[in-house]
Amino acid sequence: MKQTNRLELLKEILLNEEKEVTSELAEKVAQLSSILNEEEELAKKVNPLMDRKINQLVDEMPKKLSPVITQSLKNEIKNSQDAVIEALFPIIGKLIKKYISHEMQMLNAKINKQLAETFTIKGWFKSKKNKSRVVDEAFLATDKPELIQILVVEKESGILKASYTHADKETIDEELIGGMLTAIKSFVEDAYSGGNQNLETIAYDFYTLHIQNFYNYYIVAVINGLYTNEVKNKVENLLLDFAANGVSKDSINNNELFSNKLKLFFSDKSI
Amino acid sequence: MTNQSKKITLIGPFGVGKTSLFKRFVDNTFSEDYKSTLGVQIQKKVITMNDGSQLSLILWDTEGTIKVSEGRSSYLLGTHCFVYVFDLSRIETYENINTQIKYLKEKFPNTPVKILGNKLDAVNIKNVEVTLKDLQVEYDFLASAKTGDKVDELFLEIAVDLVN
Repeated sequence: MKQTNRLELLKEILLNEEKEVTSELAEKVAQLSSILNEEEELAKKVNPLMDRKINQLVDEMPKKLSPVITQSLKNEIKNSQDAVIEALFPIIGKLIKKYISHEMQMLNAKINKQLAETFTIKGWFKSKKNKSRVVDEAFLATDKPELIQILVVEKESGILKASYTHADKETIDEELIGGMLTAIKSFVEDAYSGGNQNLETIAYDFYTLHIQNFYNYYIVAVINGLYTNEVKNKVENLLLDFAANGVSKDSINNNELFSNKLKLFFSDKSI
Repeated sequence: MTNQSKKITLIGPFGVGKTSLFKRFVDNTFSEDYKSTLGVQIQKKVITMNDGSQLSLILWDTEGTIKVSEGRSSYLLGTHCFVYVFDLSRIETYENINTQIKYLKEKFPNTPVKILGNKLDAVNIKNVEVTLKDLQVEYDFLASAKTGDKVDELFLEIAVDLVN
């Protein structure tokens, strides 16, 4: 045997196993390369993993993030308590009003039913004869209520924040009215309710001062004319709407801007 | 130029002249008749500041109480400056003044307090100053609602402090 052939034989014996391994590796690299370079192939492999991970995150996220978010919200609300209450006041007010209104309607329906069952046809004819309802309606029509002044007053200090007075109505200095109303409110609320209730109306001759209380301020609507539950309801809705849409931190700190907003909102409003 | 409103509350014992100071400043009037204030009375005076802006001083003249804690606390809420008034001619109105001021500052830590001795026209200033020093009474003004001495100065100083 020649020297060269021997060397080739020895090489073949020694490297045969490694050749097989290399060949296998090359095949695997080709497969991986195909998976990585072809989107569909890669998607087949990766998508199940991602889906599993996403599902895992969805399951774990509320558990892990919930305490953090809750704590952050708690801190945020605690730090800006006044602002939160101020924002919620009109909304809560509306909800309570809606609930009470619904309950009143139910009560009204119940009373009407009871009356219909109780009174006879004779009684009905009698009431018709008296024309009491017609008289009431005529009276209401001649004494139509009119919104003549709106004052927004800071609750504690009694400082007037904004005012709007109907063009042809004149009153004494509005800042003094704001101060005196606050003093009267404080006195009545201290004297009769221990501070948990709010004074809601002051009546004087044909005038009624409707007081809508909010957290840091209150709004007074001065009404000339008959102040019925219906009128009260309309005024409440108007003031709650204004508080929800027209009152902001900027306007509270700028009397002129606030008064303009008040004028814009109430100048064309009737009750 | 912005227009602002500030609440100033006058407090102090009975008959020290809170209402007289109030009337002297707002209407420039004085009466010897004493009528005890019931509850509170409110007046307004507009001051034009150096920069041309206007400041409305809403003055709350409260009824007299021996101790601040005995008064209606809701009248004190939202005050931008207190004026504690005592009577220079009656030592009982200022011998415990430091306790009252301490109480006020604890209850309203962010509200400035001006201390004023009234009825300067009715006392010997030198004797009173000795008594005040002995009792360690610190005051901002000694004034007279009757003559008008130092009344405007008090409210103008408050106005400037509040605007600044």
